[in-house]
Amino acid sequence: MRRARREAEVAEVIVDRVACTAHGVCAVMSDGAVELDEFGYPIQSRLTLPPEEARVLVEACPARALLFRRPT
Amino acid sequence: MSLTDLLDEAGLTGRGGAMFPTSVKLRAAFDNRAELIVNACDGEVGTHKDALVVAEHLRELEHGAGLVARKVHWAAHRGSDTEDRLLEAGLRVLSVPARYVASEESALVSLLHGGLARPVMRHEPIARGGRDSQGHRLRPTLVLNAETVWRISQIAQYGPGRFRGFGTPDEPGPRLVTIGGSVERPGVYDTAAGVPMRELLTAAGAFEVGAVGIGGLSGGWLSAGDAWSVAWSNAALAPHGLRTGTGAIHVLERSACPLQYVTRLARFAAGESAGQCGPCMFGVPAVATQVAQLADGALAYDEFALLQQRLRLLPGRGACRYPDGIAGFISSALRTFRADVEAHLAGACVAMKERAGAAR
Repeated sequence: MRRARREAEVAEVIVDRVACTAHGVCAVMSDGAVELDEFGYPIQSRLTLPPEEARVLVEACPARALLFRRPT
Repeated sequence: MSLTDLLDEAGLTGRGGAMFPTSVKLRAAFDNRAELIVNACDGEVGTHKDALVVAEHLRELEHGAGLVARKVHWAAHRGSDTEDRLLEAGLRVLSVPARYVASEESALVSLLHGGLARPVMRHEPIARGGRDSQGHRLRPTLVLNAETVWRISQIAQYGPGRFRGFGTPDEPGPRLVTIGGSVERPGVYDTAAGVPMRELLTAAGAFEVGAVGIGGLSGGWLSAGDAWSVAWSNAALAPHGLRTGTGAIHVLERSACPLQYVTRLARFAAGESAGQCGPCMFGVPAVATQVAQLADGALAYDEFALLQQRLRLLPGRGACRYPDGIAGFISSALRTFRADVEAHLAGACVAMKERAGAAR
């Protein structure tokens, strides 16, 4: 699985809605890819990003609410 | 022929509202040796059919459940007559808090495996197992609605041909509906897809029909005119943005202000969010407050635009589809009762008087 991820050109990230507590770090760090609603929660449920940007976002989330989507 | 093949041939879909092919769920469950939860909670607003199935067809239910799994749990709302009946029959009962979202599929699975009766984020079907947001493992568990299990028993006993003798080719089989509201004979009726709504309304003795709610809090509304002319099937309801769902049919009387009624349900909905996912926890109460203001004639035009924007942002942003259902329910009301909405935005419930004076 690690190998497949490294080779992929894009990574898919999903939001765990139960875990998300609206810190908003993803919106600040994603350069516009994540927008927040009026309550501070991401509007997007699924992001397709370059793998390196995706990794940064996933690791930065204080609530650990961003997950790499499992390859299917 | 295997059970799943039989169900394929019969075309059985889940009777709990989602209408997913039962055979597909069952195959995943068999592959993973899933336990079974029979959902007899009647969790949808205005639905009482599971109670009837347990009260009158428990032996067939047990037969159907036995065909599906070796270990069966019977979910019923805590303190309900249905729970008493299941306990008296000596069955393994999963006692579910009487809250709307608590009987949602993944909430039942979470409760069964020692968690709270709250929905879980699913990244694959829960019949294959999964994890909750704390990382606790959930064993593979299949959840079937009580009526679905009863139909499985009937199909196994009498064959798919007899089952297909009811309904339409695309939506086969007998189905239960619960009719309530402005009717002389509220209760559960045996019917099938394709039956004219007129027949159902007449059978229940509907009177003073102002509008008809379909599918409870996860459904929406038909105008009186549409309700008298449409057929009760997913195909016929689709152009109105509706589905047969759990089979709840609620007749709203003509003299009632529909927006006041929608407000009552919206306020109830605000209190029934499991409070896990932010968009639902904050979004549903925000929407309910605005609907109440609208019903009171206290919502300005620009605030109405905000209400519509909030409704657009609810779907697809929760662990379960509760916010999707609420958004659909309120959006449908705003469409169906457009004349009332415009009158209320202008500051008055004039529609109420007009409706009282108008003929059917």
